[in-house]
Amino acid sequence: SRHKRNATGAKRAQYRKKRKFELGRQAANTKLGAKRIHEVRTRGGNRKFRAMRLDAGNFSWGSEAISRKTRIVAVVYNSSNNELVRTGTLVKNAIVQIDATPFRQWYESHYATPIGARKGKGVVKAESEEIAKTRSNHVQRKIEARKTESKVDAALDHQFAAGRLYACLSSRPGQSGRADGYILEGQELAFYIRKLKK
Amino acid sequence: MSEQIEKAFQKQQGIFQNAKVGAKKSVKNNRWYKEVGLGFKTPKEAIEGHYIDKKCPFTGDVSIRGRILTGEIMSTKMKRTIIIRREYLHFISKYNRYEKRHKNLAAHMSPCFIGVQAGDSVTVGQCRPLSKTVRFNVLKVQKKVVKGAKNFAKF
Repeated sequence: SRHKRNATGAKRAQYRKKRKFELGRQAANTKLGAKRIHEVRTRGGNRKFRAMRLDAGNFSWGSEAISRKTRIVAVVYNSSNNELVRTGTLVKNAIVQIDATPFRQWYESHYATPIGARKGKGVVKAESEEIAKTRSNHVQRKIEARKTESKVDAALDHQFAAGRLYACLSSRPGQSGRADGYILEGQELAFYIRKLKK
Repeated sequence: MSEQIEKAFQKQQGIFQNAKVGAKKSVKNNRWYKEVGLGFKTPKEAIEGHYIDKKCPFTGDVSIRGRILTGEIMSTKMKRTIIIRREYLHFISKYNRYEKRHKNLAAHMSPCFIGVQAGDSVTVGQCRPLSKTVRFNVLKVQKKVVKGAKNFAKF
């Protein structure tokens, strides 16, 4: 901001050299791929983890209040720049597709009901081993008590059927070295699905 | 609904909107707001409205601290920010007289203040830098009183 013009438009004269505290570093432009993270020494001796390539992250399913480490499949939407979608760059608030299997496994063990069952298919898939296994009396009662709250939104159900969930990154991969985020639900999900359809 | 104009989903940072279907507490307007302190009343529109503004002092992530100034609105042409004109008198000791001076100030105006026009008087409070020139946020609007019979006001 010492190099910018004033609010009035006046050009500011340069009266000192560039200082180290006003430095800026190259952007990370984290891509999808096998994990590659560079460590950077920053001001005060602290570190930043510049993720150059990432393939997995810790994603939260907000309404169920659980998080699982999942593979990131693809970058699908970026509100700032379409170029970042084309090149598959991971940045905060990018919409990505993640692998649904850890969440499906958790759901089936927690509620003992199938999720993302494909309707309209004549052949009924055999109940997975996780659902059909025998449980102790105590565990069975707990599962019965949870049945009322096991309903999942239709839009999410579709995604589970396809095996891919839409999620939003909430961490900054170029700063923390991680690509963590949350699964899109409700109005946010509807908003982004509409954007993707265009 | 109508406040989702941008390419990214606009929401208040920190409030969770996607509680499970059939949860016990379903508040119609799950909105977060705060009191800015120093005796400023938070407007009803800020509490009941649907706008999303991260720079609003009542529903966003800015704190009001430091100076509180007043001025007259000069222009409202920018998106969510206004220019205020503050007049003052400067004393010239040689001639024992005053001269008029003024300074302009850019301030962020939250969407909770509706129907604000140039000429209204406004109270602004200092906050952290919101842009290159904006360091103040509108806290209160005192509309300009049109004295006398109802003159023709352009609409």
